Amino acid sequence: MGNTVVEKIISLHCQEEVVPGKVVWVDIGLRTARDFGGANVVENFRRNYNEDKVADAAKTFFTFDCVAPANNIPYANNQQICRDFAYQQGIKVFDVDQGIGSHILIDKGLCLPGCIAVGTDSHLNLLGALGALGQGMGDVDIAFAFKTGKTWFEVPETIKVVVKGKLSPPVSAKDLTLAVLKRLGSKGALGKAIEFYGEAIDSLSLDGRITLASMVTEMGGIVGFITPNKEVLDYCRARAGKEDIEAITADPDAHYCQTIDIDIFGLKPQISLPYHPSKVVDVDEVEGERVNSIFLGSCTNGRWEDFKVVASILKGKRVYEGVMFKAVPSTREVYGRLLKEGLSEVLFDAGVILTSSGCGGCASGQVGMTGEGEVQLGTGNRNFKGKQGAGKTFLVSPATAAVSALYGRITSPDKV
Amino acid sequence: MLLKGKVWKYGDDINTDVIFPGKYTYTITDPEEMAKHSLEDLDPAFASGVSRGDVIVAGKNFGCGSSREQAATCLKYAGVGAVVAKSFSRIFFRNAINAGLPLIQSADAPDRIKPNEVVTIDFEKGELTCEEGVFTFRPLPEEVMGILQSGGLIPYTRKLLETE
Repeated sequence: MGNTVVEKIISLHCQEEVVPGKVVWVDIGLRTARDFGGANVVENFRRNYNEDKVADAAKTFFTFDCVAPANNIPYANNQQICRDFAYQQGIKVFDVDQGIGSHILIDKGLCLPGCIAVGTDSHLNLLGALGALGQGMGDVDIAFAFKTGKTWFEVPETIKVVVKGKLSPPVSAKDLTLAVLKRLGSKGALGKAIEFYGEAIDSLSLDGRITLASMVTEMGGIVGFITPNKEVLDYCRARAGKEDIEAITADPDAHYCQTIDIDIFGLKPQISLPYHPSKVVDVDEVEGERVNSIFLGSCTNGRWEDFKVVASILKGKRVYEGVMFKAVPSTREVYGRLLKEGLSEVLFDAGVILTSSGCGGCASGQVGMTGEGEVQLGTGNRNFKGKQGAGKTFLVSPATAAVSALYGRITSPDKV
Repeated sequence: MLLKGKVWKYGDDINTDVIFPGKYTYTITDPEEMAKHSLEDLDPAFASGVSRGDVIVAGKNFGCGSSREQAATCLKYAGVGAVVAKSFSRIFFRNAINAGLPLIQSADAPDRIKPNEVVTIDFEKGELTCEEGVFTFRPLPEEVMGILQSGGLIPYTRKLLETE
C-alpha cells in the first residue's frame, strides 16, 4: 500500500517505514521559538541541560512576532532573555522588525517542501502550504528539540479533502478556507493530517495556500498539505538559491481515513461569528451590522496579495468616518514592498494606520486591543473571547474587511 | 511496568482548565505546589485524598482545551499512576508522555470500572484488571514506553545523551 504525504515526510526523517499510529523519533530540520514561549524554552533548556550547546545552531532560530516591538515589560524581558541565550549559543534571531516567524521561514528559503519544522507557534503548520510539516509544540518539547534536534511523533491518519469548483473574485482563498472550516468544524480533523486537492486548490497562489493551511489548526488538524505547483517550487528554488527542490506527493494508492468532497460552486463571501472560528455564515446574513474597527494582517492574511486587494478597494476613497483601520504586514518584506510600490500612500490617504510587521492585532500585539462593545472585523484566524480584547471579532477576507471599512457596516464585497 | 491503584472516576470532556485552573498558570510554577490544586474545580476532595499510584478513569476527550503543560505535570506530581480514558486530546497526550504520566486508551473499560475500586494495570501486556474482569488495551508504542520508564522526556534525554 502506498503512503500519504505526512507518512512520506516522517519516513524520510526517521529512515524507517511508518504507518498511522506508530511513534517514531524524527530528525527536525528547523527548530524555532518566538517571543511567546521562547523565554520558557530558554528556561527549560538551562534547567535541564545546563550550559550545553544546542544540537545545531544553524538550524535553530528565534522569531519575535507576537508583540513586536514589545510594549510591556514581560514581553520585553522575554525577548531579551531569548536574545542573550541566542548570543551565547550563536543562534540567529529574527528580531522585532522582521515579522511573523512562519512566513520568514518561507520567504528566506529556510523551509522547503518536505521539511520538518517545530516551534512555539500553534500556526506553524501553515508550512503545509509548501508541502512541509510544521508543528507547534510546548516549551518542554521545543527545549528538547533545541538540545537534540529530534522529537517523537505519532504518525497521524490523513483525511483527503477535495474542493470542486473555481474561485472568482471577490470570493477569495479566505472565503474558501472558512467554507472548509464550516464543513469540517472545530474537531473535524482532530489529531489528523489533511491533504487538499481539487481545481480550486491547484489554482491558489502561494499566499492563498498559506491562508488555507494556516486555519487547519482551527479544524483541529495537525497539518494540511497542498501539493506545491510550479509557482511554489520556483519560489522556493529562488529563495533558497537551490535547484534540487521537489514536491513530496502522495502515492496513488495511499490510504485515507476519510474523503470529504466540498463543492464551492456559487460560494459567497464568508464570515465567522464571535467567538468561534468555525461558526461560519455568508456575509449576507449579518450584513449591515455596525463596525468600529478593522484589522488587516496575521499569518492568515497579512501578505502582499492581501494588501494589494485592500489597496485596490480603498484607492482614492476614505475609510468611513469613525472606523479605525489597523494594517500590519506579515513581514518586513511585505512592508517594504508597500512603501516602495506606493501602496502605503494609498492606504495612508484612505485613513489606514499602517505599522511595521508582525502578528499585530491577531493576538493583542503592538497595535492594541478591542474595548468592550467594540465590533472588529479581522482577517486573522481566531476570534475566541478575549483574544483581541474585550470586544467582538468577526473573521473575514481582506476584501470584505476593506469594503466594510468604506461603509462602516458589515458589507459583502460582491455587492459593490 | 505494573500498577495497582485506587480509581478516581470522572466523565467526558475533562478539560485542562478543570485539571489545572487557568488562574494559577502563571502564579504557581513549583510542581509540588501545582499538584495541590489538581482537579480543584471538578473534585475538591481529589488533591488531598489521592495516593501515589492511584488511577484516573474518564470518558471521551480527556485533556481537551488549552495546550498548558501544567495539566499533565500536576497530575504526575499528585502521584497519579495512570489515566484511563476512552480518548485523549492530542496535545494532552503529548504533554502527559513528556511528563512521564502513562495514558491508556480503552473504549469499553471506563464504563465498567467502578469508582473507588482498586485496579491492576500491566502496561507491557496491555491488560487492565478490575472487579468486572480483565480488559485488554493496545500497549503504548515501545518508544513511548521508553520515555515513561525514564520518568518523562527530560530524564529520557539525559539517559540518551549519557549513552551517546
